[in-house]
Amino acid sequence: MMQVSGDVQIIKEDNVTHSFCGLACVGWMYQKIKDSFFLILGTHTCAHFLQNALGMMIFAKPRFGIALMEEGDLSKNEPTLEEIIREIKADHNPSVIFLLSSCTPEVMKVDFKGLAHHLSTPDVPVLFVPASGLVYNFTQAEDSVLHALVPFCPEAPAGRKSVVFLGSVNDATADDLRAEAEGLGIHVAGFLPESRFDKMPAIGPDTVLAPIQPYLSRVAVKLERERGARVLHSLFPFGPDGSRVFWEDLAREFGITIDLSDREKAAWEKIRSQTELLKGKKVFLTADTMMELPLARFLKSAGADVVECSSAYINKKFHARELEALAGVRVVEQPNFHRQLEDVKRIQPDLIVTSLMTANPFAGHGFVVKWSMEFMLMPIHSWSGVIPLANLFVSPLHRRSNLPEFDKEVWLEGVMPSAE
Amino acid sequence: MRLAFWLYEGTALHGISRVTNSMKGVHTVYHAPQGDDYITATYSMLERTPDFPGLSISVVRGRDLAQGVSRLPGTLQQVDHHYHPDLTVIAPSCSTALLQEDLHQLAAHSGLPPEKIFVYALNPFRVSENEAADGLFTELVKRYALSQEKTAVPSVNLLGFTSLGFHLRANLTSLRRMLQTLGITVNVVAPWGAGIEDLKKLPAAWLNIAPYREIGLTAAEYLADTFAMPAIYEAPIGVEPTLAWLRSVIENLNRTGAERGVSPITLPKLSAFSLDGLSAPSGVPWFARTADMESFSNKRAFVFGDATHTVAIVKFLRDELGMKIIGAGTYMERHADWVRKELDGYLPGALVVTDRFQDVAKIIDDEMPDLVCGTQMERHSCRKLDVPCMVICPPTHIENHLLGYYPFFGFDGSDVIADRVYLSCKLGLEKHLIDFFGDAGLEYEENGDAASPEIELSTGNGHIAPAVAVEKESVAVAEDGEMKWTDDAETMLKKVPFFVRKKVRKNTETFARSIGESSVTVEVFRKAKESLGG
Repeated sequence: MMQVSGDVQIIKEDNVTHSFCGLACVGWMYQKIKDSFFLILGTHTCAHFLQNALGMMIFAKPRFGIALMEEGDLSKNEPTLEEIIREIKADHNPSVIFLLSSCTPEVMKVDFKGLAHHLSTPDVPVLFVPASGLVYNFTQAEDSVLHALVPFCPEAPAGRKSVVFLGSVNDATADDLRAEAEGLGIHVAGFLPESRFDKMPAIGPDTVLAPIQPYLSRVAVKLERERGARVLHSLFPFGPDGSRVFWEDLAREFGITIDLSDREKAAWEKIRSQTELLKGKKVFLTADTMMELPLARFLKSAGADVVECSSAYINKKFHARELEALAGVRVVEQPNFHRQLEDVKRIQPDLIVTSLMTANPFAGHGFVVKWSMEFMLMPIHSWSGVIPLANLFVSPLHRRSNLPEFDKEVWLEGVMPSAE
Repeated sequence: MRLAFWLYEGTALHGISRVTNSMKGVHTVYHAPQGDDYITATYSMLERTPDFPGLSISVVRGRDLAQGVSRLPGTLQQVDHHYHPDLTVIAPSCSTALLQEDLHQLAAHSGLPPEKIFVYALNPFRVSENEAADGLFTELVKRYALSQEKTAVPSVNLLGFTSLGFHLRANLTSLRRMLQTLGITVNVVAPWGAGIEDLKKLPAAWLNIAPYREIGLTAAEYLADTFAMPAIYEAPIGVEPTLAWLRSVIENLNRTGAERGVSPITLPKLSAFSLDGLSAPSGVPWFARTADMESFSNKRAFVFGDATHTVAIVKFLRDELGMKIIGAGTYMERHADWVRKELDGYLPGALVVTDRFQDVAKIIDDEMPDLVCGTQMERHSCRKLDVPCMVICPPTHIENHLLGYYPFFGFDGSDVIADRVYLSCKLGLEKHLIDFFGDAGLEYEENGDAASPEIELSTGNGHIAPAVAVEKESVAVAEDGEMKWTDDAETMLKKVPFFVRKKVRKNTETFARSIGESSVTVEVFRKAKESLGG
């Protein structure tokens, strides 16, 4: 058990099992960076994963693909990707190609850095993105993508202090964040990532990096070290509480003192009916997307009883403020799913925030569930995200209470013969 | 090495878990990096399993590899402790197969008794979904089936019915209904819903029914060799094949019955097989003879899929609906010879055998068939071309996992397939009206399909918004590099019935290119109409 400041204790168990590997980030990153191509050096398994699990099986030519390693490729020293890169360039004309690692070539000890360097041309760089499930969980490979983009962020000369928001969000959310910052008198230098490869923001010693997603600790540290940028250590901008602290802290970096307590109060007022429903409700977060800490903190502020907040990885420094705010909550890193099942049975939570793999089975056991992944695909940032965020939690509770009585002996009979 | 986007067959682990997820008291532990757990979501989401699929991952982390630690023994102990399975199947993943770890030895370290463990250490780089599923099922049958007394009454085993099988439940219901009508008992269905005890009693049945070429056939062959059990391998898809299948079931059972002195089964009046017991068991034979269907005579169909469904659907379309088959293919290379033999005389050219969806998309693009029967991939290819498509086999999509009774097997299945053909194809009499009078008030927005509901369905997991964004983008990409049309020519094109407009546009552009034009003007368009007869 490791000690963080205050009385927060992080229980560390053996491993997350029901979640995706880093390749999942392709699902949103290729859409965010519009002139990119994401090439995964991987096996049939990687292809099957992208095809099935993320619901991404949309025809046309997607801007991602798999350089498929077949049995004959295993005995070769280094994979030859020239032909595939040519095909991608001819069909998609990307400005940048991200080369993602996966488990099999990692086991084979493929020299990805050398490979990417070798395939790069001045006009179309090929950037290595470590994403293999041997090391990286779900959202963590976004960190790797941003890491790879750092050399393409121009050096910002010292002088004007400005903010760069760290994390991919959709354009509407980005506009909101930008307007909010400018309204506070903060100069915005951009977002990492921007939606075009040639538009990545300039970063330098007078840049304040404001992380808006909780899974980007490595790139933050890199930019701090290499560019002398300052990283904002605050809450993540989710919920009235998170938004207030985030903006106040960010403003302070710019020498601006503001008090957003009225704004926070008004935001809580807007979601009063939702928080009334959440009050005292036992919520269990099983670990999936690594957004669990700020989500649990919002729930706690909203009056819910967070009975467990599990996350795949917790970074004591990067998540320090969230952890402080979670004082008193049971926080688990790398949880063991079998143990969680027993605790869920014992605690009988009112709501379980959980992965795509486990949501329906929990529902089948009578629990109310919410897909953890949905929080990544909804505009839940800052003030404009307060209502969508609150609604995501209350909607399954409402829904369940509006549906008629359910006798599972009757309505689940024969649905899963293997379980009977 | 090749660039792949989508694949027809899933992985070996998918095949293995399809079998074990079907079964009671059987668990799979796969020794794999954490992300391989996506496989669990295919069951919990597509089949909406109300309990946790019997699948656990023994996680391999980079750190474990560096330290030479294996979690497999510990995971096996945890699984035994929490789920108490009768049998745990242990499977490697791509990465762990490469490491050449001795799974037998690691499993033995768990301390679990050997009879509760089965290491299925196939090579995931060589074996795909169906071969793995068929292979594992056969191994389990070999391991457990026991020689024993036959049942007193005529009975059958239904083999090869497997989790995530195409319209699995409805097909099973359809077969059960027909067998019930004949007074035949089902001894065991496997692997779907079967436990170890069920596998043991397989040899008690009089006859095995293994309608899927992909899964179950090898086990039925083993049971035939070892226990002298007769088997029927045909799939009862279509009215005539169903009748032949019923006769074959009766004949086989009566042969055993004669030896055992049991009175023979007779085929009842066919109305006994209908849903109400009072009517024709299928509407297809009459439907095919109606004037309505006469317009189907010239419909050109292309069929692509697994072995079982490709063969059955080609025969159904040609033999029972009187459609024209312009080509067919399969991604099941292992069964290509069988498909070729079955479809001898049905195809104008060679059978297409490929596991690259781009090859199939190109054929569809070149041929512009009136109907494509294919997989989820063909459905996507066809959407782009505005070619009617119905899904007849895996790989599927959440929308192929519906709640209603839509079998493909039996008389009931014939009606379902015919309905889908009818609804998928362009209309009959209405088509003439529209052709003649233009759009008949049915005009659609040219690009309106980008927001059609099926895109929202193309997820199943909440990825709705990005999916729509991609689709829109893909339309834009598809239209890049297309030939320019003058405004006048566009106006003229608008007068073409909306549902053939894409086809006319494409044909006109091909024509324009062939005569060396770089854009389509009114004049080029007229020339094209004259020369193409449009």
